[in-house]
Amino acid sequence: MIELEVKILSDRREGLLVELGRLVVASGFTLQRQRVYQDSHGAWLVMITRGSPEARLALEEQLATHNRVLSFEASLVEEGGATFAAAPPASTPRAPFPASSISTNHAAPDVRRVESMLPQMARDYPKIFPWLLAMEHEVAAEAREASLLLAGRRTGLWVFKRDYEIGGKLGLPDTIKRIALPAMRTLVTVDQRDRQLFIQNSPLCSPGGRSGCKFFSGYLEGMLGASMAPQTVFVRNLHCRSSGVGDCALEISH
Amino acid sequence: MLAHQSYNMLLVALSYVISVLGSFTALQLAVVIPLARTARERTAAVFAAGAAMGVGAIWAMHFIAMLACDMGMPVSYDPMLTALSAIIAFGACSLGLAIASSGAFSWPKLAAAGICMGLGVTGMHYLGMAAVMMGAYTSYDMNLVATSLIIAIVASIVALWLAFNLRGPLQMIGSALVMGIAVCGMHYTGMAAFKVDENGGQMPAGFSGGLRGENLGTSIFAVTLVLLVAVLLIHYKRQQRRATISI
Repeated sequence: MIELEVKILSDRREGLLVELGRLVVASGFTLQRQRVYQDSHGAWLVMITRGSPEARLALEEQLATHNRVLSFEASLVEEGGATFAAAPPASTPRAPFPASSISTNHAAPDVRRVESMLPQMARDYPKIFPWLLAMEHEVAAEAREASLLLAGRRTGLWVFKRDYEIGGKLGLPDTIKRIALPAMRTLVTVDQRDRQLFIQNSPLCSPGGRSGCKFFSGYLEGMLGASMAPQTVFVRNLHCRSSGVGDCALEISH
Repeated sequence: MLAHQSYNMLLVALSYVISVLGSFTALQLAVVIPLARTARERTAAVFAAGAAMGVGAIWAMHFIAMLACDMGMPVSYDPMLTALSAIIAFGACSLGLAIASSGAFSWPKLAAAGICMGLGVTGMHYLGMAAVMMGAYTSYDMNLVATSLIIAIVASIVALWLAFNLRGPLQMIGSALVMGIAVCGMHYTGMAAFKVDENGGQMPAGFSGGLRGENLGTSIFAVTLVLLVAVLLIHYKRQQRRATISI
């Protein structure tokens, strides 16, 4: 058996422990200790989990791709468990984790900049691309993708609650067809083939650009994650116009 | 339709308008049932939607349509059976909407909900017709009775599918228009199945104590007023909620 210390950054605290605790237990681990606290970057959840070494990779994969997780670090707990007992780390959004302990790590978003931009995006919605392009250039390079992902998740969740929440609970194919597709079409030209969405001429993914469809991935995760809850929705970038192909393709699964 | 039945077409059109208004109110209340946070909220939403559908869309429509129909002789309605017909419609519609709004969408669930609603519409109609008191023998063409039941069930299933499976204007308006077809289609097919034979002018016992058109008119006006107020309140609450959702 191994003990794993997991540190997670999320955009909000509500329900974080319940959602991710369930995921830990479902992965065959037991939750030994946990702590949730808030700082200027968002809500942090630190968990000490215990389970078999064979299940570690699966747990890390599930946590890393969970729609509540903005940033994630997992490391083996050594004798004494000193890390957990320590005070909340005084990390910055751009370098939240000590490099020596990182097994799976995603750069943290510039939460402050995203938070300040979101109300303006809500006001101008669906004409949001000037805001996103401005943010893309303003944030540090290592925080760019995570910031676009966060902005996408928050926007997707907001649009879902505003325009699509009322109605029956649908399966994934119907959710894509009835909710994701019409919502995406208010922003860009999109075609659907089964569980794949093809975005034509995405303004965020111009050839040689840098966003990598992260905004739309987050948008779909936020929107469909809320619709499909408690199931987790995953969005995978198959290819992006910025890398020279004709369009952007995203695949949705749960 | 038998030769001695004639219709006031303005009231026939009004009966469809009332059934659509009631269906719209009911389905707008029903589609938020999945968002209820407590069992109490859910129960209240189910009963409110069931009342709007059963009493508004079905019962009120039925009696406007009965006022539209001139059978060539005086007619009154048994008060107990008339009240019971409203309760049947309310109960069956509440059950149907509770089934349709529970958990994730599935075809068996939709079919069960549609059958409940269809039986509610049909049960209300034929109980309402059993309440009719007039100086004649009455009977039914059973083929048309079966047809009216099928119309009610199929159109209810379509309306519930539109309401719970779609989003946007088609969900809001389309479902109510189709549910109106379910209610009216069933009613007027049921009326075509209704046969009247002379009995020599013998009035049934209790005829004079029955409800007349003017009594029903007041009740229908009250129901319509409640439906209109409910629609306005729903619209206002939705707009208010939409404005408070922060990004």
